[in-house]
Amino acid sequence: MPTAVTHFKTNIYECLEALPKPTLDQLYKEPATCLAIFRLLPPLARQLVMSLLFTQPISPVNLTQSDLRLWVKNEEEALAKFHEALDKLSKLSIMTTDSSGYIQINSSFRERFQDCLTGGGDHQSFGVSCERPAKDKPDIAFLDRHAMKQWEEILHFMVGTESTRQPSAAVLKVVTRAKLMKEGKDKQLMITNKGFQFLLQDVNTQVWAFLIQYLDIADELLHMNVVEVLNFFFMLGSLELGMDYSVEALTPTQKQLLDDLANFGLAYRRKKGSSRYYPTRLATTLTSGNSAVVSSAVSSSTSTTTGDDGATEQGFIIVETNYKLYAYTESKLQISVLRLFCELQTRFANMVYALITRDSVRKALKHGITANQIISYLTSHAHPQMKKQTPLLPPTVVDQIRLWEMERNRLVATECHLYKEFRNQGDYEMVLRHATNLGFVIWSNAKKRMFSVTEEGHEHVRNYIKKKIAQRKTNGGGEAGSGIGTPNNGSPSVR
Amino acid sequence: MPPPTFKRRYRDEDEYLPAGSSRPNKKKSKISSKKSNSATPNHNSEDENDLSREALIPRSAVFDIDSLKTSTHVNIPRDSVSKYFGEDDFSYIKLKKDHANRPLWINPTTGHIILEGFSPFAEKAQDFLITISEPVSRPSHIHEYKLTPYSLYAAVSVGLETEAIIDVLKILSKIEIPESIMELIRTCTLSYGKVKLVLKHNRYFVESSYADILQKLLQDKDISEARVVNSEGSDEGFLRNKAPTGKDLIISGKKEQEKETDADGKNKEPETEDDNIFNAVVQIDKEDEEEEEDEVHSFEIKSEKFEVVKKRCIELDYPMLEEYDFRNDSTLPPLDIDLKPITVIRPYQEKCLSKMFGNGRARSGIIVLPCGAGKTLVGITAACTIKKSCLVLCTSAVSVMQWKQQFMTWSNIKESQIAVFTSDMKEKFSGQSGIVISTYSMVANTRTRSYDAGKMMEFITGREWGFILLDEVHVVPANMFRKVVTTIAAHTKLGLTATLVREDDKIGDLNFLIGPKLYEANWMDLASKGHIANVQCAEVWCPMTPEFYAQYLKASSRKRMLLYAMNPNKFQACQYLIRFHEDRGDKIIVFSDNVYALEKYARELKVPFIHGKTKPPERMYILSLFQHDPKVNTIFLSKVGDTSIDLPEATCLIQISSHYGSRRQEAQRLGRILRAKRRNDEGFNAFFYSLVSTDTQEMFYSTKRQQFLIDQGYAFKVITKLEGMDKATDLVYRTHGEQLSLLSDVLLANDHDADLDNDIESNADDLPGVVTSRNFTSQQKGYGGVKRSVGSMKSLSGADDMAYMEFSHGNSSSTKTMKKVDKKTQAKDHHPLFKKQWLRNR
Repeated sequence: MPTAVTHFKTNIYECLEALPKPTLDQLYKEPATCLAIFRLLPPLARQLVMSLLFTQPISPVNLTQSDLRLWVKNEEEALAKFHEALDKLSKLSIMTTDSSGYIQINSSFRERFQDCLTGGGDHQSFGVSCERPAKDKPDIAFLDRHAMKQWEEILHFMVGTESTRQPSAAVLKVVTRAKLMKEGKDKQLMITNKGFQFLLQDVNTQVWAFLIQYLDIADELLHMNVVEVLNFFFMLGSLELGMDYSVEALTPTQKQLLDDLANFGLAYRRKKGSSRYYPTRLATTLTSGNSAVVSSAVSSSTSTTTGDDGATEQGFIIVETNYKLYAYTESKLQISVLRLFCELQTRFANMVYALITRDSVRKALKHGITANQIISYLTSHAHPQMKKQTPLLPPTVVDQIRLWEMERNRLVATECHLYKEFRNQGDYEMVLRHATNLGFVIWSNAKKRMFSVTEEGHEHVRNYIKKKIAQRKTNGGGEAGSGIGTPNNGSPSVR
Repeated sequence: MPPPTFKRRYRDEDEYLPAGSSRPNKKKSKISSKKSNSATPNHNSEDENDLSREALIPRSAVFDIDSLKTSTHVNIPRDSVSKYFGEDDFSYIKLKKDHANRPLWINPTTGHIILEGFSPFAEKAQDFLITISEPVSRPSHIHEYKLTPYSLYAAVSVGLETEAIIDVLKILSKIEIPESIMELIRTCTLSYGKVKLVLKHNRYFVESSYADILQKLLQDKDISEARVVNSEGSDEGFLRNKAPTGKDLIISGKKEQEKETDADGKNKEPETEDDNIFNAVVQIDKEDEEEEEDEVHSFEIKSEKFEVVKKRCIELDYPMLEEYDFRNDSTLPPLDIDLKPITVIRPYQEKCLSKMFGNGRARSGIIVLPCGAGKTLVGITAACTIKKSCLVLCTSAVSVMQWKQQFMTWSNIKESQIAVFTSDMKEKFSGQSGIVISTYSMVANTRTRSYDAGKMMEFITGREWGFILLDEVHVVPANMFRKVVTTIAAHTKLGLTATLVREDDKIGDLNFLIGPKLYEANWMDLASKGHIANVQCAEVWCPMTPEFYAQYLKASSRKRMLLYAMNPNKFQACQYLIRFHEDRGDKIIVFSDNVYALEKYARELKVPFIHGKTKPPERMYILSLFQHDPKVNTIFLSKVGDTSIDLPEATCLIQISSHYGSRRQEAQRLGRILRAKRRNDEGFNAFFYSLVSTDTQEMFYSTKRQQFLIDQGYAFKVITKLEGMDKATDLVYRTHGEQLSLLSDVLLANDHDADLDNDIESNADDLPGVVTSRNFTSQQKGYGGVKRSVGSMKSLSGADDMAYMEFSHGNSSSTKTMKKVDKKTQAKDHHPLFKKQWLRNR
């Protein structure tokens, strides 16, 4: 799903771009942040930054945008990339154009980034290692397990695996605010289509999406300083897996943050007041940029122990033309995901057999999961055997899932106003005739003496009735139909 | 009819389930019952149970796999997602270390086997699984099979042994074989197939490779009394012979006999290093051979007592397999028949035959091949191999003539040796031996016959037959089979069918009436090898026009059928598709079960049509027009065309009205285009369209009908909108006015017109219900002595119980008494297998 991935990735950009310039300047005070943001840039933008980073201060060569343009091939594609890069850089206010048209690199960014690259300065941006060696240092496998356990707990909660613990308040806030889940009829949180889309992402993208949402509430609800939070995220991204770091060097906000992140599985602490913390793979790969490598690295090292979705990356689902689905998975999470739109039948140690039925798909549709999402899930997780054939999924199954979705969209709700309780048939027919002639009537029933008219017709019809009543009153005919329209919003009518 | 003590042993399946207990695998049974009960209510299940269960069905055949389930494993939730699977979470069963190399899983409670079709061992595994289990679905990647008592019985009867089955499963399975499955296999196979009843030199022998089993049988008083005590016995008192081999048997028609003398076609591939599992599978074959080298023990029984022995053996739970050592039978006069030298049989046909003649003797059983895959030739080749008098039974007079035709085409038999026995023709062959072709109804008829027919029946029942061929075996009710089996003395029975499905799931009984299923071909496989045509299936959705739908909602169930068949949108879609495919150069058959719709469509579109009332000469004329006249590219057929009409020119099929949810009809109709002449052209596709009016009952039936084909791997594409149909302005019923007048025509139409069954005129030859799904009860009319008349099927095959009730009202008392009488007379019959003894007994 390249499109989906970029969608979530750009969210980090969007999030950074949305920040006001002073905040960005604040951010650039941390070398780790500078490095992380640099890594998130597109390759050409990185190239530009590197070229300008050291040249400018020494010899104040002033370059204009058109000078830079000469650096790239004069081809449409290359130029498009070039403009995109410039755009990104200026939005992040890393590179600005001054009044005389010369390119300037954000001074704070330049300094810190130079520090970072040359190892200068006395910043503690890349974390402070503990001086005393830890007594029983957890090994990497343990950290991976911890990370996956914590993270999957959140995902399990989202797919509604029963018997998972209620996640922490922060998680609950994030999922509801991000509309990954919403309250169903029985006050239970149910997964939404956004949530399902979320599940379809690889782990790295998920973590970022989650953190960005967290950033939102950190600002509003927890009154944390956005800069500190972001700095901390980016710092985590630059830490080394398996090393222990001291809590002492953190700001109070960051300490508070650490608790939540430990909860999400990004860091590990032996106990709450512990003086050291260990970043997990989820954290250290945050800014590495190559998400696929990350998640497969995470999963391959853990799959043997935790039964994580090791096969996920290769694809594990076979869908047959007879609507049977065979999933080579042991992952509880994947099973729970399947349960969202399949009828689970039988489970073997390494394989699950399920049926795609009208009922099961409708259940998923009701939660707002779309047919396309189901299909893209099946496509992206298709077993290598399935990938040998084109089209990848049996077209009949794909069509059918779409048809099941269409089936639900056959009713179209039209806003309308209902007129009822006419005193006699004559009045009813008179008003109805009038409304019909004007083309406003959506539905009518002579027996019940009821009809409904469109939104725009309401005014006309009401006026007509009023006029008639007034006429009768003046005529002394007293008993007029009291056909007052009862607005009945959203009364559905079949198209 | 077995005596009461005997009968108690054949329990109805329901008795196995204590009242109120629910099946443990509820989920599964739910699925299967969805398939079976929805379309046509089970109005006659009781009667049928009664009759069919009297058949010779050993106890283990109704063995319930659920009873084996060990409760210790179950109900321990292993993790948070276990409960979603209820009792079907088998993740506790350990995977073998090298599971990735093994191709299958086994479900311990239902006996389902899930096979990876892409595993390197899949092909070998399939050969094995098809022998021991029933195929459930065989699409492209993952196949499903199910172990059933019947299938295991079949496996044993073709020579597999209990431990061999378990060993091979162990090798192929990714998981440890569950105890329950081992127990199932043992229970169902240990006693089966160990004892054979062999007719050799016209003497009966009870034969077994296990002397101890024979000893055990001899402990029984009845059996030991029946034994012929003679002098040539060895120390154990048994005769010892070399076990039979198929080595020197030549099935005619094989391409290069030298190359393929190996009867099973098991040309061993060069073995490579990583072939360990292969070897194991191949070993089954080896064991087969070894066993053949073994000695067998046997004792002779008095021929007049064989029947008692057979019965006792079933009671002792050692049902005897019947084999016919036709090469050593000197009593039956040989028939001079052979395939013509030009006749070549295909590899899968050869495989069928090798299963049948595996050990050099003829086994009874059923062969399942798709329509158009050459079932007839298999039957003819079998007859040519046995070379004894042969009786062929088919479902209708039309197919009788076709069989005769086929015999003349493929074999060198003289015309004087083929006799036809129908209501119109009563021929006898000349000479000592020959072939008689007849219909089930003619033979099973219990009514007073005409003098000619009576003579003919004497001719048939008065002699021994080496071979009886039962065509379209799935349509024939069990009791009719019993009738056939008991009145005709045949040494070997071979059933042929394309679709071994019946909406009432009574198919299993056939296994014990005829014999086990010997072979079932894989449709997709045959299609990919070009033996049958590739077919694109599509379901075309035709929305009902508002006026039609309004009437539909108000109408009675019969009128509804007419309304959805006559839906103007469907009419247009049909016209559009015909035009589209005629332009492509296709020849099109349009099927409609509804005769009213058929005529209306055909007349409107000016296309020739055939239905039940079309006279034979006219039929022949229309069919030959279709075949030879380039101007006639489309014909309309009612369900008379479902089976017996063979039109290799047809390449496209459109179905506008069909028989409820009959999976069989769908498959049979598809069969009409599977033998398309042009199938081997590159990129050739045949087309199968099913036009369905949306939001009507038809949608539901349609889904159900497709089930069988979907399980065979066919995919039905749903077309919601035909591209370009809007632009075709010259279609019929474009205007609202025209549609309304069509509607009023339809509303005026007689209710009778809506019925699907007023089409085919019952002919004394035709098996009632042969082309419909399951109106087998009409059969009882025969028993009741009621004369068959037009409309008999209508009253019985309706989807509504009403129709059936009408019949019972009219005849209930008489049918009941007649049935009783029938039972009484049958009770005297003692199931004689061969007429000779039967006559003597009398």
